[in-house]
Amino acid sequence: MFSLDLLLDAVVIGVLLGCFYGAVSLGLSVSFGLLDVPHVAHPAFLVLASYAVYFLNENYAVDPLVAGILITPVFFLFGLATYRLYYETFEKRGSDAGVRGIAFFFGVAFIIEVLIILQFGVDQRSVTADYIGKAWRLGDIRIPYRLLVAFAIATALTVLLTLYLSRTFMGRAIRAVAQDQEALRLMGTNPVKIKQWAFGIATAVLGIAGALLIIVAPVDPTLGRAYIGRTFCVVVMAGLGSMSGTLVAAIILGVAESIVLTMFGASWAPAISFAILLGILAVRPQGLFGRRP
Amino acid sequence: MALSLAINDLDAGYGAVKALRGVSLHVEAGETVALLGTNGNGKSTLMKCIAGLVRPQRGVISLTIDGAAHDLSRLSTEDIVELGVAMVPEGRRLFPRLTVLENLMLGAFRKAARRSIDRNLAVAFETFPVLKERQGQLAGTMSGGQQQMLAIARALMSSPRLLLVDEPSVGLSPLLVSQTITKIGELNQNRGLTVLMAEQNFNQAIRIASRGYIIVHGEIVVAAASVDELRGNDIVKRLYLGGAA
Repeated sequence: MFSLDLLLDAVVIGVLLGCFYGAVSLGLSVSFGLLDVPHVAHPAFLVLASYAVYFLNENYAVDPLVAGILITPVFFLFGLATYRLYYETFEKRGSDAGVRGIAFFFGVAFIIEVLIILQFGVDQRSVTADYIGKAWRLGDIRIPYRLLVAFAIATALTVLLTLYLSRTFMGRAIRAVAQDQEALRLMGTNPVKIKQWAFGIATAVLGIAGALLIIVAPVDPTLGRAYIGRTFCVVVMAGLGSMSGTLVAAIILGVAESIVLTMFGASWAPAISFAILLGILAVRPQGLFGRRP
Repeated sequence: MALSLAINDLDAGYGAVKALRGVSLHVEAGETVALLGTNGNGKSTLMKCIAGLVRPQRGVISLTIDGAAHDLSRLSTEDIVELGVAMVPEGRRLFPRLTVLENLMLGAFRKAARRSIDRNLAVAFETFPVLKERQGQLAGTMSGGQQQMLAIARALMSSPRLLLVDEPSVGLSPLLVSQTITKIGELNQNRGLTVLMAEQNFNQAIRIASRGYIIVHGEIVVAAASVDELRGNDIVKRLYLGGAA
Protein backbone atom coordinates (compact mmCIF):
# COMPACT_ATOMS: atom_id res chain seq x y z
CA MET A 1 0.00 0.00 0.00
CA PHE A 2 1.03 3.62 -0.52
CA SER A 3 3.12 5.15 2.24
CA LEU A 4 5.29 8.23 2.53
CA ASP A 5 8.30 6.17 3.57
CA LEU A 6 7.99 4.03 0.51
CA LEU A 7 7.76 7.12 -1.71
CA LEU A 8 10.78 8.74 -0.08
CA ASP A 9 12.72 5.53 -0.53
CA ALA A 10 11.71 5.40 -4.19
CA VAL A 11 12.78 9.00 -4.77
CA VAL A 12 16.21 8.59 -3.13
CA ILE A 13 16.93 5.41 -5.06
CA GLY A 14 15.51 7.05 -8.17
CA VAL A 15 17.92 10.00 -7.94
CA LEU A 16 20.88 7.62 -7.67
CA LEU A 17 19.55 5.40 -10.44
CA GLY A 18 19.11 8.56 -12.51
CA CYS A 19 22.74 9.52 -11.97
CA PHE A 20 23.67 6.10 -13.28
CA TYR A 21 21.47 6.68 -16.35
CA GLY A 22 23.23 10.02 -16.75
CA ALA A 23 26.66 8.41 -16.75
CA VAL A 24 25.66 5.94 -19.48
CA SER A 25 23.98 8.69 -21.56
CA LEU A 26 26.72 11.37 -21.52
CA GLY A 27 28.60 9.83 -24.46
CA LEU A 28 25.41 9.80 -26.53
CA SER A 29 24.86 13.43 -25.60
CA VAL A 30 28.11 14.15 -27.42
CA SER A 31 27.75 11.78 -30.40
CA PHE A 32 24.05 12.28 -31.08
CA GLY A 33 23.39 15.53 -29.25
CA LEU A 34 26.32 17.53 -30.59
CA LEU A 35 27.46 15.66 -33.70
CA ASP A 36 24.05 14.54 -35.06
CA VAL A 37 25.37 11.01 -35.51
CA PRO A 38 22.45 8.55 -35.13
CA HIS A 39 24.47 6.37 -32.80
CA VAL A 40 21.99 3.58 -31.95
CA ALA A 41 24.96 1.29 -31.25
CA HIS A 42 25.81 3.43 -28.22
CA PRO A 43 24.21 0.97 -25.75
CA ALA A 44 25.92 -1.93 -27.52
CA PHE A 45 29.29 -0.20 -27.03
CA LEU A 46 28.28 0.22 -23.39
CA VAL A 47 27.65 -3.50 -22.95
CA LEU A 48 30.89 -4.28 -24.77
CA ALA A 49 32.71 -2.11 -22.24
CA SER A 50 31.00 -4.02 -19.43
CA TYR A 51 32.28 -7.31 -20.82
CA ALA A 52 35.79 -5.90 -21.15
CA VAL A 53 35.60 -4.89 -17.48
CA TYR A 54 34.23 -8.34 -16.62
CA PHE A 55 37.13 -9.97 -18.48
CA LEU A 56 39.75 -7.95 -16.58
CA ASN A 57 37.98 -8.50 -13.25
CA GLU A 58 37.45 -12.24 -13.74
CA ASN A 59 40.91 -13.10 -15.09
CA TYR A 60 43.21 -10.57 -13.45
CA ALA A 61 41.16 -9.53 -10.39
CA VAL A 62 41.30 -5.90 -11.48
CA ASP A 63 38.87 -3.67 -9.61
CA PRO A 64 35.94 -2.89 -11.97
CA LEU A 65 36.41 0.87 -11.73
CA VAL A 66 40.14 0.59 -12.40
CA ALA A 67 39.32 -1.71 -15.31
CA GLY A 68 36.89 0.90 -16.63
CA ILE A 69 39.63 3.53 -16.57
CA LEU A 70 42.11 1.10 -18.17
CA ILE A 71 39.87 0.41 -21.17
CA THR A 72 39.08 4.11 -21.70
CA PRO A 73 42.04 4.79 -24.06
CA VAL A 74 41.21 1.64 -26.03
CA PHE A 75 37.61 2.78 -26.40
CA PHE A 76 38.82 6.21 -27.49
CA LEU A 77 40.72 4.57 -30.37
CA PHE A 78 37.74 2.32 -31.07
CA GLY A 79 35.59 5.48 -31.34
CA LEU A 80 38.03 7.14 -33.74
CA ALA A 81 37.99 4.05 -35.97
CA THR A 82 34.20 3.68 -35.86
CA TYR A 83 33.61 7.30 -36.84
CA ARG A 84 36.12 7.09 -39.68
CA LEU A 85 34.36 3.99 -41.03
CA TYR A 86 30.94 5.65 -40.66
CA TYR A 87 32.21 8.83 -42.33
CA GLU A 88 33.86 7.10 -45.29
CA THR A 89 30.98 4.73 -45.99
CA PHE A 90 27.94 6.88 -45.13
CA GLU A 91 28.21 10.46 -43.94
CA LYS A 92 30.50 11.61 -46.77
CA ARG A 93 27.99 10.56 -49.38
CA GLY A 94 25.24 13.02 -48.82
CA SER A 95 22.10 14.28 -47.29
CA ASP A 96 20.14 11.08 -46.66
CA ALA A 97 23.07 9.60 -44.76
CA GLY A 98 21.14 10.05 -41.51
CA VAL A 99 18.64 7.33 -42.29
CA ARG A 100 21.26 4.98 -43.72
CA GLY A 101 23.45 5.87 -40.77
CA ILE A 102 20.89 4.36 -38.42
CA ALA A 103 21.07 1.13 -40.44
CA PHE A 104 24.86 1.21 -40.17
CA PHE A 105 24.82 1.57 -36.40
CA PHE A 106 22.08 -1.06 -35.97
CA GLY A 107 24.34 -3.40 -37.91
CA VAL A 108 27.31 -2.54 -35.70
CA ALA A 109 25.16 -3.13 -32.60
CA PHE A 110 24.09 -6.59 -33.73
CA ILE A 111 27.63 -7.56 -34.71
CA ILE A 112 28.85 -6.58 -31.24
CA GLU A 113 26.02 -8.54 -29.63
CA VAL A 114 26.85 -11.66 -31.63
CA LEU A 115 30.58 -11.35 -30.93
CA ILE A 116 29.89 -11.09 -27.20
CA ILE A 117 27.66 -14.19 -27.34
CA LEU A 118 30.34 -16.12 -29.25
CA GLN A 119 33.00 -15.18 -26.73
CA PHE A 120 31.13 -15.18 -23.42
CA GLY A 121 27.86 -17.06 -24.04
CA VAL A 122 24.35 -15.84 -23.27
CA ASP A 123 24.49 -16.12 -19.47
CA GLN A 124 24.53 -13.16 -17.16
CA ARG A 125 27.94 -12.01 -15.96
CA SER A 126 28.87 -9.94 -12.95
CA VAL A 127 31.97 -8.53 -11.27
CA THR A 128 33.23 -8.67 -7.71
CA ALA A 129 34.42 -5.77 -5.60
CA ASP A 130 34.23 -4.73 -1.95
CA TYR A 131 31.57 -2.11 -2.53
CA ILE A 132 29.18 -4.40 -4.41
CA GLY A 133 26.42 -5.87 -2.25
CA LYS A 134 26.98 -3.60 0.73
CA ALA A 135 24.71 -0.75 1.69
CA TRP A 136 24.67 2.43 3.70
CA ARG A 137 21.75 2.93 6.11
CA LEU A 138 20.35 6.44 6.19
CA GLY A 139 17.52 6.33 8.73
CA ASP A 140 15.13 3.77 7.32
CA ILE A 141 16.52 4.01 3.82
CA ARG A 142 19.03 1.48 2.62
CA ILE A 143 21.35 2.93 -0.03
CA PRO A 144 23.52 0.44 -1.93
CA TYR A 145 27.16 1.53 -2.26
CA ARG A 146 27.15 0.58 -5.94
CA LEU A 147 24.60 3.35 -6.59
CA LEU A 148 26.71 5.84 -4.61
CA VAL A 149 29.63 4.95 -6.86
CA ALA A 150 27.41 5.65 -9.88
CA PHE A 151 26.38 8.97 -8.35
CA ALA A 152 29.98 10.07 -7.78
CA ILE A 153 31.17 9.07 -11.23
CA ALA A 154 28.20 10.59 -13.04
CA THR A 155 28.79 13.90 -11.29
CA ALA A 156 32.53 13.85 -12.01
CA LEU A 157 32.01 12.96 -15.68
CA THR A 158 29.42 15.71 -16.13
CA VAL A 159 31.71 18.33 -14.61
CA LEU A 160 34.71 17.16 -16.64
CA LEU A 161 32.84 17.09 -19.94
CA THR A 162 31.20 20.46 -19.31
CA LEU A 163 34.58 22.03 -18.58
CA TYR A 164 36.16 20.37 -21.59
CA LEU A 165 33.42 21.54 -23.96
CA SER A 166 33.34 25.11 -22.69
CA ARG A 167 36.96 25.87 -21.78
CA THR A 168 39.10 24.21 -24.43
CA PHE A 169 39.59 25.10 -28.08
CA MET A 170 38.71 21.57 -29.13
CA GLY A 171 35.62 21.56 -26.91
CA ARG A 172 34.27 24.76 -28.41
CA ALA A 173 34.94 23.44 -31.91
CA ILE A 174 33.01 20.26 -31.03
CA ARG A 175 30.00 22.33 -30.02
CA ALA A 176 30.31 24.43 -33.19
CA VAL A 177 30.71 21.56 -35.66
CA ALA A 178 27.03 20.67 -35.96
CA GLN A 179 26.04 24.34 -36.21
CA ASP A 180 28.07 25.29 -39.28
CA GLN A 181 30.78 23.05 -40.72
CA GLU A 182 31.84 25.37 -43.53
CA ALA A 183 32.26 28.29 -41.14
CA LEU A 184 34.36 26.03 -38.95
CA ARG A 185 36.62 25.31 -41.93
CA LEU A 186 37.14 29.05 -42.28
CA MET A 187 38.49 29.04 -38.70
CA GLY A 188 41.29 26.85 -40.03
CA THR A 189 39.96 23.54 -38.74
CA ASN A 190 39.00 20.28 -40.38
CA PRO A 191 35.39 19.51 -39.31
CA VAL A 192 35.78 15.80 -40.03
CA LYS A 193 38.77 15.55 -37.69
CA ILE A 194 36.86 17.51 -35.04
CA LYS A 195 33.91 15.12 -35.29
CA GLN A 196 36.17 12.10 -35.24
CA TRP A 197 37.92 13.35 -32.10
CA ALA A 198 34.56 14.10 -30.45
CA PHE A 199 33.27 10.64 -31.32
CA GLY A 200 36.42 9.21 -29.77
CA ILE A 201 35.69 11.08 -26.55
CA ALA A 202 32.04 10.01 -26.59
CA THR A 203 33.20 6.40 -26.88
CA ALA A 204 35.98 6.78 -24.29
CA VAL A 205 33.41 7.89 -21.71
CA LEU A 206 31.70 4.53 -22.28
CA GLY A 207 34.70 2.73 -20.80
CA ILE A 208 33.94 3.94 -17.30
CA ALA A 209 30.16 3.90 -17.97
CA GLY A 210 30.41 0.22 -18.92
CA ALA A 211 32.14 -0.44 -15.60
CA LEU A 212 29.20 1.22 -13.83
CA LEU A 213 26.69 -0.86 -15.80
CA ILE A 214 28.17 -4.14 -14.57
CA ILE A 215 28.74 -2.78 -11.06
CA VAL A 216 25.08 -1.76 -10.73
CA ALA A 217 23.69 -5.07 -12.01
CA PRO A 218 24.77 -8.22 -13.86
CA VAL A 219 24.88 -7.87 -17.67
CA ASP A 220 23.91 -10.12 -20.56
CA PRO A 221 24.69 -9.67 -24.28
CA THR A 222 21.28 -8.22 -25.19
CA LEU A 223 21.11 -5.73 -22.31
CA GLY A 224 21.95 -2.89 -24.71
CA ARG A 225 18.49 -3.07 -26.24
CA ALA A 226 16.89 -1.94 -22.97
CA TYR A 227 19.16 1.08 -22.92
CA ILE A 228 18.37 2.37 -26.43
CA GLY A 229 15.11 3.86 -25.18
CA ARG A 230 16.57 5.14 -21.93
CA THR A 231 19.69 6.80 -23.33
CA PHE A 232 17.93 8.43 -26.29
CA CYS A 233 15.10 9.55 -23.99
CA VAL A 234 17.61 11.22 -21.67
CA VAL A 235 19.57 12.95 -24.45
CA VAL A 236 16.51 14.26 -26.30
CA MET A 237 14.77 15.26 -23.07
CA ALA A 238 17.87 17.21 -22.04
CA GLY A 239 17.89 19.23 -25.20
CA LEU A 240 20.54 18.07 -27.60
CA GLY A 241 24.07 18.58 -26.42
CA SER A 242 23.80 19.87 -22.85
CA MET A 243 25.90 17.82 -20.38
CA SER A 244 24.40 19.14 -17.13
CA GLY A 245 20.98 18.95 -18.78
CA THR A 246 21.70 15.30 -19.56
CA LEU A 247 22.35 14.56 -15.88
CA VAL A 248 19.17 16.36 -14.74
CA ALA A 249 17.06 14.65 -17.42
CA ALA A 250 18.53 11.30 -16.39
CA ILE A 251 17.61 11.97 -12.75
CA ILE A 252 14.03 12.81 -13.79
CA LEU A 253 13.88 9.49 -15.67
CA GLY A 254 15.42 7.61 -12.75
CA VAL A 255 12.97 9.03 -10.20
CA ALA A 256 10.00 8.40 -12.50
CA GLU A 257 11.06 4.80 -13.15
CA SER A 258 11.70 4.19 -9.47
CA ILE A 259 8.31 5.57 -8.36
CA VAL A 260 6.43 3.64 -11.03
CA LEU A 261 8.34 0.49 -10.08
CA THR A 262 7.38 0.94 -6.43
CA MET A 263 3.75 1.91 -6.99
CA PHE A 264 2.69 -0.05 -10.05
CA GLY A 265 5.21 -2.83 -10.49
CA ALA A 266 8.10 -3.66 -12.77
CA SER A 267 6.13 -4.30 -15.95
CA TRP A 268 5.31 -0.61 -16.35
CA ALA A 269 8.84 0.73 -15.85
CA PRO A 270 10.19 0.24 -19.41
CA ALA A 271 7.34 2.35 -20.85
CA ILE A 272 8.28 5.32 -18.70
CA SER A 273 11.20 6.58 -20.77
CA PHE A 274 9.14 6.98 -23.93
CA ALA A 275 6.11 8.38 -22.08
CA ILE A 276 8.25 11.12 -20.54
CA LEU A 277 9.99 11.77 -23.83
CA LEU A 278 6.69 12.26 -25.70
CA GLY A 279 5.26 14.41 -22.92
CA ILE A 280 8.24 16.76 -22.84
CA LEU A 281 8.57 17.02 -26.60
CA ALA A 282 4.89 18.02 -26.80
CA VAL A 283 5.46 20.90 -24.37
CA ARG A 284 9.10 21.87 -25.06
CA PRO A 285 10.30 20.53 -28.42
CA GLN A 286 13.84 21.87 -27.86
CA GLY A 287 14.12 19.73 -24.71
CA LEU A 288 14.41 20.97 -21.14
CA PHE A 289 17.75 22.69 -21.54
CA GLY A 290 18.00 23.15 -25.29
CA ARG A 291 19.17 26.60 -26.31
CA ARG A 292 17.52 28.49 -29.12
CA PRO A 293 18.00 29.72 -31.78
CA MET B 1 55.51 42.91 -44.65
CA ALA B 2 55.30 42.04 -48.29
CA LEU B 3 52.16 40.30 -49.42
CA SER B 4 50.40 40.10 -52.71
CA LEU B 5 47.62 38.07 -54.24
CA ALA B 6 47.60 37.39 -57.96
CA ILE B 7 44.87 35.38 -59.63
CA ASN B 8 45.51 34.30 -63.17
CA ASP B 9 43.04 32.91 -65.72
CA LEU B 10 40.77 31.22 -63.20
CA ASP B 11 37.88 28.95 -64.19
CA ALA B 12 35.50 27.53 -61.61
CA GLY B 13 32.05 26.05 -61.59
CA TYR B 14 29.54 23.67 -60.11
CA GLY B 15 29.02 20.68 -62.37
CA ALA B 16 28.13 21.90 -65.86
CA VAL B 17 27.59 25.49 -64.72
CA LYS B 18 30.61 27.72 -65.16
CA ALA B 19 30.61 30.37 -62.44
CA LEU B 20 33.99 31.93 -63.30
CA ARG B 21 35.65 32.25 -66.72
CA GLY B 22 39.23 33.38 -67.17
CA VAL B 23 39.25 35.60 -64.09
CA SER B 24 42.47 37.51 -63.38
CA LEU B 25 42.97 40.03 -60.62
CA HIS B 26 45.61 41.14 -58.17
CA VAL B 27 45.76 42.71 -54.73
CA GLU B 28 48.89 44.38 -53.35
CA ALA B 29 49.91 44.86 -49.73
CA GLY B 30 47.96 47.55 -47.89
CA GLU B 31 45.29 47.95 -50.55
CA THR B 32 41.52 47.76 -50.25
CA VAL B 33 40.25 46.31 -53.50
CA ALA B 34 36.55 46.12 -54.34
CA LEU B 35 35.11 43.24 -56.34
CA LEU B 36 31.85 44.65 -57.63
CA GLY B 37 28.95 42.90 -59.24
CA THR B 38 25.30 42.13 -58.72
CA ASN B 39 23.95 38.84 -57.38
CA GLY B 40 24.82 35.63 -59.15
CA ASN B 41 27.78 36.94 -61.13
CA GLY B 42 30.43 34.86 -59.37
CA LYS B 43 31.73 37.11 -56.60
CA SER B 44 31.16 34.56 -53.84
CA THR B 45 32.57 31.72 -55.93
CA LEU B 46 35.76 33.71 -56.47
CA MET B 47 36.04 34.48 -52.74
CA LYS B 48 35.48 30.80 -51.92
CA CYS B 49 38.16 29.77 -54.40
CA ILE B 50 40.67 32.02 -52.65
CA ALA B 51 39.65 30.62 -49.25
CA GLY B 52 39.96 27.04 -50.50
CA LEU B 53 36.27 26.21 -50.05
CA VAL B 54 35.76 25.76 -53.81
CA ARG B 55 38.37 24.10 -56.04
CA PRO B 56 38.92 25.98 -59.28
CA GLN B 57 38.91 23.92 -62.48
CA ARG B 58 41.78 25.84 -64.03
CA GLY B 59 44.11 28.71 -63.23
CA VAL B 60 46.42 29.86 -60.48
CA ILE B 61 45.75 31.72 -57.22
CA SER B 62 49.17 32.86 -56.11
CA LEU B 63 49.73 34.34 -52.68
CA THR B 64 53.23 35.75 -52.25
CA ILE B 65 54.40 36.36 -48.70
CA ASP B 66 57.87 37.82 -48.11
CA GLY B 67 59.04 36.51 -51.46
CA ALA B 68 57.65 32.99 -51.10
CA ALA B 69 54.80 32.09 -53.47
CA HIS B 70 52.00 29.70 -52.54
CA ASP B 71 49.39 28.38 -54.98
CA LEU B 72 46.18 28.56 -52.96
CA SER B 73 44.27 26.51 -55.53
CA ARG B 74 46.19 23.45 -54.33
CA LEU B 75 45.95 24.10 -50.59
CA SER B 76 43.25 23.22 -48.05
CA THR B 77 41.32 25.92 -46.21
CA GLU B 78 43.28 24.95 -43.07
CA ASP B 79 46.59 25.73 -44.77
CA ILE B 80 45.25 28.94 -46.32
CA VAL B 81 44.13 30.24 -42.91
CA GLU B 82 47.57 29.29 -41.60
CA LEU B 83 49.16 31.49 -44.30
CA GLY B 84 47.27 34.51 -42.96
CA VAL B 85 44.13 34.65 -45.08
CA ALA B 86 40.82 35.08 -43.24
CA MET B 87 37.36 35.29 -44.73
CA VAL B 88 34.20 36.95 -43.48
CA PRO B 89 31.66 34.81 -45.34
CA GLU B 90 28.47 36.01 -46.94
CA GLY B 91 25.58 35.76 -44.50
CA ARG B 92 28.06 36.01 -41.59
CA ARG B 93 27.90 32.29 -40.75
CA LEU B 94 28.32 32.66 -37.00
CA PHE B 95 27.82 29.80 -34.56
CA PRO B 96 24.38 30.92 -33.35
CA ARG B 97 24.19 28.75 -30.23
CA LEU B 98 27.61 29.79 -28.95
CA THR B 99 28.30 33.03 -27.12
CA VAL B 100 30.01 36.06 -28.64
CA LEU B 101 33.21 35.25 -26.76
CA GLU B 102 33.10 31.59 -27.82
CA ASN B 103 32.70 32.64 -31.46
CA LEU B 104 35.75 34.89 -31.13
CA MET B 105 37.80 32.17 -29.46
CA LEU B 106 37.00 29.80 -32.34
CA GLY B 107 38.46 32.41 -34.69
CA ALA B 108 41.76 31.80 -32.91
CA PHE B 109 41.70 28.01 -33.28
CA ARG B 110 45.00 27.73 -35.13
CA LYS B 111 48.03 27.17 -32.91
CA ALA B 112 49.77 30.34 -34.16
CA ALA B 113 46.67 32.43 -33.44
CA ARG B 114 46.35 31.07 -29.89
CA ARG B 115 49.65 32.68 -28.95
CA SER B 116 48.38 36.16 -29.71
CA ILE B 117 44.84 35.61 -28.47
CA ASP B 118 44.90 38.27 -25.73
CA ARG B 119 46.18 40.94 -28.07
CA ASN B 120 43.70 40.05 -30.82
CA LEU B 121 40.81 39.95 -28.37
CA ALA B 122 41.77 43.42 -27.12
CA VAL B 123 41.88 44.68 -30.71
CA ALA B 124 38.48 43.13 -31.46
CA PHE B 125 36.87 44.70 -28.39
CA GLU B 126 38.51 48.03 -29.08
CA THR B 127 37.29 48.03 -32.67
CA PHE B 128 33.80 46.82 -31.77
CA PRO B 129 32.99 47.88 -28.17
CA VAL B 130 29.49 46.41 -28.40
CA LEU B 131 31.04 42.92 -28.58
CA LYS B 132 32.76 43.45 -25.23
CA GLU B 133 29.46 44.46 -23.63
CA ARG B 134 27.70 41.44 -25.10
CA GLN B 135 30.44 38.82 -24.88
CA GLY B 136 28.25 36.40 -22.90
CA GLN B 137 25.26 36.66 -25.23
CA LEU B 138 24.38 33.94 -27.75
CA ALA B 139 25.50 35.08 -31.19
CA GLY B 140 22.19 34.09 -32.79
CA THR B 141 20.23 36.47 -30.57
CA MET B 142 22.09 39.59 -31.69
CA SER B 143 20.90 42.08 -34.31
CA GLY B 144 22.10 41.79 -37.90
CA GLY B 145 24.54 44.67 -37.56
CA GLN B 146 26.08 43.26 -34.39
CA GLN B 147 26.35 39.85 -36.03
CA GLN B 148 28.25 41.37 -38.96
CA MET B 149 30.64 43.04 -36.52
CA LEU B 150 31.15 39.74 -34.73
CA ALA B 151 31.82 37.98 -38.03
CA ILE B 152 34.52 40.53 -38.89
CA ALA B 153 36.00 40.40 -35.38
CA ARG B 154 36.06 36.59 -35.50
CA ALA B 155 38.06 36.73 -38.73
CA LEU B 156 40.53 39.13 -37.10
CA MET B 157 41.19 36.62 -34.30
CA SER B 158 43.34 34.50 -36.63
CA SER B 159 45.85 37.38 -37.08
CA PRO B 160 45.20 37.64 -40.82
CA ARG B 161 47.30 39.63 -43.27
CA LEU B 162 44.74 39.38 -46.06
CA LEU B 163 41.08 39.81 -45.18
CA LEU B 164 38.41 38.58 -47.61
CA VAL B 165 35.02 40.15 -46.96
CA ASP B 166 32.10 38.68 -48.88
CA GLU B 167 29.04 40.93 -49.20
CA PRO B 168 29.16 42.67 -45.83
CA SER B 169 26.04 44.71 -46.68
CA VAL B 170 23.64 41.78 -47.13
CA GLY B 171 20.59 42.04 -44.90
CA LEU B 172 21.62 45.30 -43.21
CA SER B 173 19.88 48.67 -43.13
CA PRO B 174 21.58 51.51 -45.08
CA LEU B 175 22.92 53.10 -41.90
CA LEU B 176 24.45 49.81 -40.72
CA VAL B 177 25.91 49.15 -44.16
CA SER B 178 27.63 52.50 -43.96
CA GLN B 179 28.97 51.80 -40.45
CA THR B 180 30.21 48.34 -41.41
CA ILE B 181 32.01 49.61 -44.51
CA THR B 182 33.59 52.40 -42.45
CA LYS B 183 34.88 49.83 -39.94
CA ILE B 184 36.45 47.77 -42.71
CA GLY B 185 38.08 50.93 -44.03
CA GLU B 186 39.48 51.66 -40.56
CA LEU B 187 40.96 48.17 -40.30
CA ASN B 188 42.81 48.85 -43.53
CA GLN B 189 43.92 52.36 -42.50
CA ASN B 190 44.80 51.75 -38.85
CA ARG B 191 45.98 48.16 -38.85
CA GLY B 192 47.51 47.88 -42.29
CA LEU B 193 45.25 44.97 -43.22
CA THR B 194 45.05 44.15 -46.92
CA VAL B 195 41.40 43.80 -47.92
CA LEU B 196 39.56 42.24 -50.84
CA MET B 197 35.87 42.98 -50.54
CA ALA B 198 33.07 41.57 -52.69
CA GLU B 199 30.13 43.92 -52.65
CA GLN B 200 27.11 44.88 -54.72
CA ASN B 201 26.62 48.29 -53.12
CA PHE B 202 28.81 50.32 -55.48
CA ASN B 203 28.65 53.67 -53.72
CA GLN B 204 29.45 52.25 -50.30
CA ALA B 205 32.27 50.04 -51.56
CA ILE B 206 34.13 52.78 -53.40
CA ARG B 207 34.16 54.95 -50.24
CA ILE B 208 36.95 52.78 -48.86
CA ALA B 209 38.36 51.03 -51.92
CA SER B 210 41.49 52.26 -53.65
CA ARG B 211 40.47 50.54 -56.88
CA GLY B 212 38.14 47.84 -58.11
CA TYR B 213 36.99 45.19 -60.51
CA ILE B 214 33.57 44.61 -62.01
CA ILE B 215 32.48 41.04 -62.56
CA VAL B 216 29.60 40.17 -64.88
CA HIS B 217 28.52 36.58 -65.66
CA GLY B 218 31.73 35.20 -64.21
CA GLU B 219 34.07 37.43 -66.20
CA ILE B 220 35.99 40.50 -65.15
CA VAL B 221 34.67 43.20 -67.49
CA VAL B 222 36.29 46.23 -65.87
CA ALA B 223 39.62 46.45 -64.08
CA ALA B 224 39.98 50.03 -62.92
CA ALA B 225 43.20 51.45 -61.48
CA SER B 226 41.40 54.06 -59.40
CA VAL B 227 38.01 54.92 -57.99
CA ASP B 228 37.70 57.85 -60.40
CA GLU B 229 38.31 55.54 -63.30
CA LEU B 230 35.53 53.28 -61.98
CA ARG B 231 33.10 56.19 -61.70
CA GLY B 232 33.82 57.31 -65.22
CA ASN B 233 33.48 53.86 -66.77
CA ASP B 234 30.61 53.38 -69.20
CA ILE B 235 29.69 49.90 -67.97
CA VAL B 236 29.59 51.20 -64.40
CA LYS B 237 27.35 54.07 -65.45
CA ARG B 238 24.98 51.65 -67.13
CA LEU B 239 24.98 49.06 -64.32
CA TYR B 240 25.07 51.19 -61.20
CA LEU B 241 24.72 54.88 -61.73
CA GLY B 242 21.69 54.88 -63.97
CA GLY B 243 23.31 57.34 -66.37
CA ALA B 244 23.22 57.13 -70.15
CA ALA B 245 26.19 55.26 -71.55
